[in-house]
Amino acid sequence: MEESRTDKEISFFRPRGTAMRGEVRVIWLVLAGWFVAIVGTQAFVYLLEVNYSELLLNEMTFFNLPIHFWLTGQLLPLWFIILCVLFNIWMDRHAARRLDGALRFRIRSGREED
Amino acid sequence: MAESAVQLVPLAIVVGMFALFIASGLRTSSRQASEYGVAGGYTGRIGIGAAIASNWMSAASFLGLAGMFYLKGYYAMAFVVGWTGGYVLLLVLMATQIRRFGKYTAPDFVGFRYESEAARTLAAIIAIVITIIYGVAQFRGIALIVSWLFGIAYTPAVIVGAALVVGFVVVSGALGVARNQKLQYFVLITAFILPLMLMARKLGYFWILPQFGYGAAIRDLQQQFGFAWSEPFATVSSFHWLALCFTLMFGTAGLPHVLSRFYMVPGIRDARWGVVWGLFFIALIYWSAPAYGVLARLFEARGGIVLNSTDPMVADMAVLSAVRYSGLPLWCIGLLAAGGMSAAFSTVAGLLLTGSASFSYDIYPRLIRPNASEVDKVYAAKGFFLALAVIVMALSLRPWGMIAEIAALAFALAGNTIFPAFLLGIWWGRANAAGVISGMLAGVVITFVPFMAGALPFLSALPPATSSAFIGAPLVILVMVAVSLLTSPPSEEIRRFLARNVHDTTEE
Repeated sequence: MEESRTDKEISFFRPRGTAMRGEVRVIWLVLAGWFVAIVGTQAFVYLLEVNYSELLLNEMTFFNLPIHFWLTGQLLPLWFIILCVLFNIWMDRHAARRLDGALRFRIRSGREED
Repeated sequence: MAESAVQLVPLAIVVGMFALFIASGLRTSSRQASEYGVAGGYTGRIGIGAAIASNWMSAASFLGLAGMFYLKGYYAMAFVVGWTGGYVLLLVLMATQIRRFGKYTAPDFVGFRYESEAARTLAAIIAIVITIIYGVAQFRGIALIVSWLFGIAYTPAVIVGAALVVGFVVVSGALGVARNQKLQYFVLITAFILPLMLMARKLGYFWILPQFGYGAAIRDLQQQFGFAWSEPFATVSSFHWLALCFTLMFGTAGLPHVLSRFYMVPGIRDARWGVVWGLFFIALIYWSAPAYGVLARLFEARGGIVLNSTDPMVADMAVLSAVRYSGLPLWCIGLLAAGGMSAAFSTVAGLLLTGSASFSYDIYPRLIRPNASEVDKVYAAKGFFLALAVIVMALSLRPWGMIAEIAALAFALAGNTIFPAFLLGIWWGRANAAGVISGMLAGVVITFVPFMAGALPFLSALPPATSSAFIGAPLVILVMVAVSLLTSPPSEEIRRFLARNVHDTTEE
């Protein structure tokens, strides 16, 4: 029985098992947040550049910094840290839930044996 | 930055910082074993994060990034995003899985996962080439600082720097010095940020967080001197910006000496949280580095120095020249020089040692002398260490770009070869030896093909080599998938290992 359960092809696009499916789902979400933030900020900066003069671009500031410097140089690294923290919190909770489930299973099967 | 006299105060600070690290390393090594100076002691997740950041912090971070800002303005933001965003890929796709494989080097991983000595040897050769390229970036940083410290020209400074690196490794090895990476990180980050705060304060900017305060310098440069940082994509297209950015991210998740961090952490949860702390510590550097490039321009403008300097040597010294022109005391510039030297030394020493270990372990007994004894391997490692140092030194005499550009080439090669090999090795059970060998060979070709644009003009339409992994990595993945599907699948054992030991495939 165990053979048939583990002897399966591993694929990111066809995850097997509850835990792997959950992990891959979270990875997709994090990667989407990562990709959209990078491409989205650059698209926004590009649109600003196309629609406003250089002078105005440097006048649009946030915390002293021109908006494009702030978005790319300050916000994106901070966003990456936030994504990593969220991923880790999910993974920790997921691991704790699984451990909890495994313990309950052991206790139940121990009682049945009694 | 040309000086003709020895800079005594900065030199004393450089010597003092190295003495501090060696003394601390001696204390550390008496408490724990250290292998090739990379093991180090971990005290909790912050300690792991500091070790990741200290391992990461090189001349490219300390000197090169500010130089890119100085010369290319917003384009350099691609480095900031690339070198931080890559850690997201590393965390979600690789960190915990690599820890579960339990292999200690990238060639070890490739050899075990793909069950192929040829794949392992190819990975070792690629790792050594990456080491050489990355080493050239460090040597250039070391040579520029040595040149300024001793008042000598660049070429003799490369030779003096190489001698100092070899001497440092020999003395450290003879004394059994371990790297106290936590101390090293906190000393380096202080050396990097403190002068920045002092400069911002002197200028009357928001000095408590100079990472934001330097925005006023951008405004002053424009209003007082008419120097506007170029429009974001005026000189470089948004496609090229993204190509560089993604190349650096794929490379970050494929650099052998970065990946090796995760084999050594005590637990999987520690590995994950260590990445977050490491990313935060690294981000502290990258939030700050642009300020040096901007302030160097501002002080030059105030000093009446011509503002359209495009000299890469001047740009790579922007961190030191900013402090020098600011009028801050000599110890401040000494602190930065010491930090830059220390970051470059520890990186290049670690790279050369792991490169020579890889040669003596993965290549020498497999390709050159099949019945080599342990003593032979030790001699091979020592000989190859010297050979590597000479190769890196020779290439550093005529470097092909700025510090950050040279480092970016190493990232491109890693992103085109090691990154796809690890990604599919972890996440696709069907990937096999033929696939990874074809993929890595294709990755090598993709990385270096833009250099042939002189002979084959149609290649000039391609992005530069430093941005090649944006298209290259997906292409290599396609090659790996196609070749793997056309050849026999990997063994039942390795597929079962992936399903049981690397991923949790049980149903609840």
